[in-house]
Amino acid sequence: MLKEETIYQSIATVIDPEVGFNLVEMGLIYNVEIKESNDVVVTMTLSTQACPLHQLIVQWVKEACEKVEGVKECEINLVWEPAWNITMADDNVKKALGA
Amino acid sequence: MFVINRDFAPPFKLIAPYFIIGVIFYIVSSLFALSFNMSVIGYTDPFVIAWVHLFLLGFVIMIIFGAMAQLVPVVLESGHFAVNLYYVIWPLLLGGTLMMAYGFTISPSFLPFGGMTVLAAMFTFLLDTFLTIKKIQKKLTFTMLSIIIANLFLLLGILFGITLAFGFAGKISIDLLELLKGHVYLVVVGYVMITIFGLSMTLIPMFALSHHFSWRPIKTALLSISLGVLSVAAASLLHLTVLAYIGYLLSAVSLLFYLYQIYILYKTRARKENDIYAKSLYISHASLLSSLPLGLYYLYNGSEAIVLATGWLIFTGFFGFMIIGHLYKIVPFLIWFERFSPLVGKEKVPMLAEMVPQKSANIQIFFGTIGVFGGTCGILFGNNMLFKFAVASLSVGSLFLLRNLIYIMRFK
Repeated sequence: MLKEETIYQSIATVIDPEVGFNLVEMGLIYNVEIKESNDVVVTMTLSTQACPLHQLIVQWVKEACEKVEGVKECEINLVWEPAWNITMADDNVKKALGA
Repeated sequence: MFVINRDFAPPFKLIAPYFIIGVIFYIVSSLFALSFNMSVIGYTDPFVIAWVHLFLLGFVIMIIFGAMAQLVPVVLESGHFAVNLYYVIWPLLLGGTLMMAYGFTISPSFLPFGGMTVLAAMFTFLLDTFLTIKKIQKKLTFTMLSIIIANLFLLLGILFGITLAFGFAGKISIDLLELLKGHVYLVVVGYVMITIFGLSMTLIPMFALSHHFSWRPIKTALLSISLGVLSVAAASLLHLTVLAYIGYLLSAVSLLFYLYQIYILYKTRARKENDIYAKSLYISHASLLSSLPLGLYYLYNGSEAIVLATGWLIFTGFFGFMIIGHLYKIVPFLIWFERFSPLVGKEKVPMLAEMVPQKSANIQIFFGTIGVFGGTCGILFGNNMLFKFAVASLSVGSLFLLRNLIYIMRFK
């Protein structure tokens, strides 16, 4: 049986090369939904709409999600609301950035 | 379902010549400034005009055009109309800049040819940019609007410039000084400044992780600077001094609003580390801030040394460090994107910050900063020794910049 936690762990291997933190600790992954068919929908955002790695990051999340054993297909739902801000990040990220 | 699209990213081999040639021009123009003699220097001195073209066209515009090859699709959220046009822009800009510098210093007959070649480079750039803008389906953002306005002013600036080139070569009879003011203003303030306004609002919040800030100051700045540029351009055509002064004051007000917006971005940033990018931007903005009282004082007393010192601060300080800071972000990104992004998930890849040689970049900033502020003092006090010492420092910094760029490009 697929668990959300396993999906989050796999997505946590995706690191933003600019800031050096993974997307989960950055607070960019808003939700993971596992359907009965074992399809997964990841709702996520990016720190800025102008990110030039926009397409690649989404692709990496999709690949990381589909790497998890049992996942049939992963759909990425990229949203801009609520807009990301530093309060959504883990404490270690905030501390490292000096926020 | 989100559609994966990598078509927006141009290959690095297309952009690399712009950055390499741009930095070489930064070195060349730094060394060229060693020839200035403080006791006779003036803004109509052909060597000063040649330096301005080497710095502005060879370094500033060359790198802005190269950066635009990558940034236009990011900012406009649309692929280039014809990205391959960028393969012809840099050779034209390179040849035209060299001919113009040669024309100003040695043989004025080269000026129309140099001017026409630069014109061809800029028209090619504008052709792609405007046809890319035409493809935009989405609502205009601030940055999109800034790019449109900046490019319209560039078009006008080119037309003024080519008229000047024929004037300098003696082919037509015009008021050179008046037209020169309009040309300089349209290109430097209308194009370069407004482009910086637009890109600042995309790139600084992106790198500094600034969020929830007001856009009002920058919108006021854009309106004020646009009116200021139009006013100065009209004044140069109509010979109305009062209109020119209104334009200068509107521009000064605009730059104050821009600096206030930057202050807001710094204040609301989540990323507080002072990396190479942040340090470069501090020097860039400090230079702009220092240039404002000098520029305003020039309007009052009209001293040539003050206007030259203001220009030095804006060119080598504000533009120079703004560009250098972004080179330390954009070049590693482009190399990373091309060389390492396909390896993500397969093997360990470097972070972007690891690709910048920190110590060497700090040395470059140190020497460059002495060059900017020492050079300003040298011009203000008419002190040849101080100016040459500062320019030598700037030159050392420029060599470090080239070294750092090569290090990043060869990073494995």
